[in-house]
Amino acid sequence: MADALAKSGFIGKDDGHAAPKTFVLWRPTAKTGLMGWLTTVDHKRIGFLYGISALTFFLIGGIEALLIRTQLIVPNNHFLSAQQYNEMFTMHATTMIFLAIMPLSAAFFNFIMPLQIGARDVAFPRLNAFSYWVFLAGAIIVNLGWFMKDGAPNGGWFGYTPLTTKLFSPNHAIDMWVMGLQLLGVASIAASLNFIITIINLRAPGMTMMRLPVFTWMTLVTAFLLVLAFPAITIALVELMMDRLFGTNFFEVSNGGMPILWTHLFWVFGHPEVYILILPGMGVISEILPTFSRKPLFGYPIVVFSGASIGFLGFGVWSHHMFTTGLGTMGTAAFALTTMVIAVPTGVKIFNWIGTLWGGHISMRTPMLFALGFIWMFMLGGFSGVMHAAAPADAEQHNSYFVVAHFHYVLIGGSLFSLLAGIHYWFPLMFGRKVSEFWGKLSFWIVFCGFNITFFPMHFLGLNGMPRRTFTYDHNMGWDTGNMIATIGAFILGIGVAVYFVVMIYTYFKGERTYKDPWDARTLEWSLPCPPPEYNYRVIPTVHARDNWWYEKHHQEEIAKENAEHEEAEEAHGGIHMPFQSIYPFIAALGILIGAIGVAVIDPDPGPGLIGKKLAVSIIGFLIFFVAVCLWSLEGNEGYHIHPKKDE
Amino acid sequence: MSTAAAGAIDHHHDPSTSTGIPNKKLLMWAFLASDCMFFGCLISTHLIYRLHPPPGAPAARDVFSIELTSFSTFILLMSSLMMALAVNAIQKGNLKSLRVSILTTILFGSIFLGCQVYEFNNFVFEKHLTITNSILGTTFFTLTGTHGTHVAIGVLWLTLMYIRSFKPAGAEAARGTWLLLSFVHLVVFMATLGLSMYLVLHFARVAQAGAFGLHTCLHFAKVEYKAILGAVVGFLGLRWFALPRGAVDFDERHAIDVEMMGLYWHFVDIVWIVIFTAVYLLEYIK
Amino acid sequence: MSTPAVAEAHAHDHGPEENKFQLFVEIAMLLAVITGIEIITVYLPFASWLLVTTLVFFSAVKFLFVIFIFMHLRWDKPFCTILFFIGLFLGGGTMWALLKLFGAAASFPLSSAGM
Repeated sequence: MADALAKSGFIGKDDGHAAPKTFVLWRPTAKTGLMGWLTTVDHKRIGFLYGISALTFFLIGGIEALLIRTQLIVPNNHFLSAQQYNEMFTMHATTMIFLAIMPLSAAFFNFIMPLQIGARDVAFPRLNAFSYWVFLAGAIIVNLGWFMKDGAPNGGWFGYTPLTTKLFSPNHAIDMWVMGLQLLGVASIAASLNFIITIINLRAPGMTMMRLPVFTWMTLVTAFLLVLAFPAITIALVELMMDRLFGTNFFEVSNGGMPILWTHLFWVFGHPEVYILILPGMGVISEILPTFSRKPLFGYPIVVFSGASIGFLGFGVWSHHMFTTGLGTMGTAAFALTTMVIAVPTGVKIFNWIGTLWGGHISMRTPMLFALGFIWMFMLGGFSGVMHAAAPADAEQHNSYFVVAHFHYVLIGGSLFSLLAGIHYWFPLMFGRKVSEFWGKLSFWIVFCGFNITFFPMHFLGLNGMPRRTFTYDHNMGWDTGNMIATIGAFILGIGVAVYFVVMIYTYFKGERTYKDPWDARTLEWSLPCPPPEYNYRVIPTVHARDNWWYEKHHQEEIAKENAEHEEAEEAHGGIHMPFQSIYPFIAALGILIGAIGVAVIDPDPGPGLIGKKLAVSIIGFLIFFVAVCLWSLEGNEGYHIHPKKDE
Repeated sequence: MSTAAAGAIDHHHDPSTSTGIPNKKLLMWAFLASDCMFFGCLISTHLIYRLHPPPGAPAARDVFSIELTSFSTFILLMSSLMMALAVNAIQKGNLKSLRVSILTTILFGSIFLGCQVYEFNNFVFEKHLTITNSILGTTFFTLTGTHGTHVAIGVLWLTLMYIRSFKPAGAEAARGTWLLLSFVHLVVFMATLGLSMYLVLHFARVAQAGAFGLHTCLHFAKVEYKAILGAVVGFLGLRWFALPRGAVDFDERHAIDVEMMGLYWHFVDIVWIVIFTAVYLLEYIK
Repeated sequence: MSTPAVAEAHAHDHGPEENKFQLFVEIAMLLAVITGIEIITVYLPFASWLLVTTLVFFSAVKFLFVIFIFMHLRWDKPFCTILFFIGLFLGGGTMWALLKLFGAAASFPLSSAGM
C-alpha cells in the first residue's frame, strides 16, 4: 500500500512542512484556536463541527416545536398569531430536516466512515471543509428572517406554489428560504461526492465492498441519493426564483404555467430525502445491534441489498405525496403499487435485525436501549406509512394529523433515536469518555415516554379530521383532549432532550475516561485509541474479513506481524502523508454566503439605485468565491509527512 | 521539457486507489451523473410545457432558425473534438499541442456562445419571444440559457487552464510575480475575447441589415475603431504572454486535471445533443 | 488469423496512442454527418412517429459515441460507465414518468384556465 502510494502519479508530493510559497499561497499550520478551526481539513474535526451545529439547530427546532404545541394546547388560543404559527411550522420542519438530522448524519459520515474503511482522511479534504462552511452559510440564510422585518420563511418546508410566488408572498422571507436551501444543496452534493469517492477508492487493502461495515454501506447509498435527488429541488428552486425575480411563467397560471409542476419536482427530491434521513440511522443500528448482542449482523448481504433497493426504489414513489391532486387512475395506481413495494426491503431489514438479536448475549446498555426503541417505533411509523400507500385511505389521511403522527414516528422514533444511539455508542471513540449508564438510560426513558405521549394521540386526531398547518381549532371538534395530551407529551419530550444534552455536556468535561474499545466491538474504528490521533492509523490495516476488528482481536499474532511489516514499508517511503490545511474553503463559502444574500434581497421593482447596490453585493460575493477557488486550485494538493512514535 | 518522463505515468491507472481509477476522474463522473438529473428535470419542464401549449402561443418553428442552430451544433461538436485532442496532447507531454487545442476549444466555445447571444437577441427583438411573455419563452430561454451558462463556465475553466500552463517552474515560482502576471493575463484574455465577440456580433448585425460591401466595412471600422484597437492590442498582449520564458510547471502530471475538465466539456456537448433534438428538431415535426 | 487478432486486441488493450488522434477526428466527422442527416430528416414526408424515432435514435448514437470515445469510457474501468449510467437512467426515467403523468388525461389544463 505504501508502495502504491509512493508510485502514484496522482498524489501531490511532499512539500516540506508548511513551506511558505508566495504571500497568498502560504499553508496555515495552526492546530488550535480560531484559525485552527477555520482552516481544518481533518475529517474528525469537520465531523465535530457538523455535530455541534446539528445539535444547536436541533435545540432551536425543538423550541419551535414547543411553541407550536403551546399554541395548540387549548382551542382558540392566541399564543401565536396565524402568521407566526406559519413561520413556526415552516422553520421547525426546515430546521429539523436540513439543519439537525442531515448534519448529524453528516457528522457521523465524516468522523466514523473513514475510520471504518481504514483510511486516513476523505478523498478531497478541502472540499470536505468547504461543504461544512457552505452548510453553515445556508443555515444562516434560512434563519436570517428571524432578524428581518420580512420575517422568517412561512410557506411550509415544501414551499408549494402558487403560495410562494411573488403574488402571494411578496416579501423576501421566501427568497431567503430559496437561497438558503440552494446553499444547503450545494453543501450536500459536494460532501456526498466526496464520500462516494472515499468509499469507492480509499479502502484499506483487503477491504472489499462486501466486507464494508453496514454503516459505511448506508453512507454510500445515502450519498448516491443526495447527489441524484438534490438536482430536482435545485431546478425547482431556480424556476421559483426566476418567477419571483424576473417574472417568468413557470408557475404563473395566467401565462400557461402549472403550479403542480413545483409539487412534482419538489417531491422527486422530497421522497428520496426521507430515505436520506433514515438510511444513516439504519446503518448505525446495524452496528449497534451486533455489538451489544455479541453476534455478527444476521444476513449481511441481504441487509446491504435492501438498503440499496430502498435507495433506488425511493426515486419511484414520489407522487404518493400527491394522491389527492388528481393524477389520474393510472398514475395513482402506479405510485400506490411502488409505495407498497418499497415497504418490503424495509421489512426485510427489520427481520434481519431481529435475527441479529435472536440467540445473542444481549447487553442492555444505553445504545442498545435506543436501538431497540428504534426498531419498535420505526415499525409503528412504517405501519402508518403503509396505510398511506393505499390511495383511497390516503384520501382521508392526507393533510391531517395522521400524517404528522406517521412521519414523527419514523423521524423521531426512527432517525432521531438511531442518531442519539450513535452519539452514545461513539462518544467514547470521539471524546475518550463514557456516558454514565444511569443518566443515559434515564434520558432514554423520558424521551421515549414523552415522544409516544405526544405523537400517538395524533393518529386519532388525524382520523377524527384535524387538519395540518392550521394555527388553531374550535372547541367543539372533539380535538381538545388529544391536543392537550400531545402538548404535555411534547414538554416531557423536551425535558428528556434537555436531560440528554446536560448529560452529554457533563460527560464531555467530567465523564469516566476510556482508552480503547470500551464495548468490545467488531468494526475497525474501535481498533484506534480513544480519541484517535490526527493521522488515524499509524499503520494502514490489512482487512481479512467482515467485522475486521473482531478478526484482529482473535488473530493477534498474525496481525502484529503484518503491522510490523507495513510499518517498515511506510517508514521507508517517508512516513505518514498528511494534507495541508487551507483557508480557501472557508473564504469560498463566505463568498457564496454574500452572493446568495445579495440574490435573495434583490427586488424586481426596486426603488431608484437600489438594484444597483444589491446587485453589487451579489457580484462581489461571487467574485470572492471565484478568487478563492482559483487560489484553492493554485495552492495545490501537496502535503507533508509525519513520523509518529511507536507508542503513540 | 518532459520528454524523458513521457509515458512514465499511466494515465488510466492510479495504483494508490482501491479501484485503480484516479480520484479526480471518479469525482467528475459522479458529478456528471448528478448533472444528468439536473438537466433531466430542466428538459422535462420544457417538454411538459410543450405538451399542451396555451392557445395563442407563438409557434416554435416560426421563431427558430434551423440554419443557425445547426451551425452552432456543428461548432460545439468540433469543440468537443478539440478538447479530446487537448487531453491526448498533454497525456503525451506535448505542451504546445495542448495550448493550441485548448485555444481552439475556447474559440469554438466562444463562437457557440456568440451564436446563442445572436439567437437570443433575434428572438427577443425581431421575433418578440421574451422570457416573460409566454411559457415557451420562459422554458426555452431558461433551458438554453442554463446550458449556455455551463458552456461559459467551461470557457472560463479552459482559459484558466491555458493561463496555468504558463506557471514558471523552480525558484521563479517561489516569488509572487507569476501570480500577478497570471491575473493580468486572465483580464487581458477575457477582455480580448469579450471585445472580439462584441465586434463579430455587431458586424453580423450590420451585415445582415444592409448591403454588404466595402463601404459597410469601412463605416463599421470608423464607428468601432476603439473596440477594434482594443482587440488588436489585446491579441498582441496575449502573444506576449505566450512567449517562451523557460521551464514551466505544467506537464504530464497535470493531464488528470485537463482530463477532468475535458469530461465536463464533453458532457456539456452531449446535453446540447439532447437539447438540439428535444427542443429544436422536434418542433419541426407534425 | 489468431495472431493478427491477438495483436489487434493488444493494441486496443494498451490504448492505441497513435491511432487515438485519428480515431477522434474520424468520430468527429461521423458526428457531423449524423447531425446533417438529422437536419434533413425533419423535412422528410414521413409519419411523425417514424421521424421522431429516427431523431431519437440518431441522438442516442451521437450521445454514445461522445461518451464512449471522447470521454474515454470504452477504455476506462467499467465502474465509471456504471456510475454515469445510474445518473442517466434515473434522469431519463424521471423525465419519462413526469411526461407520462402530465400527458395523462387527468392532467390536461382546463380549457377555460387562464385564457
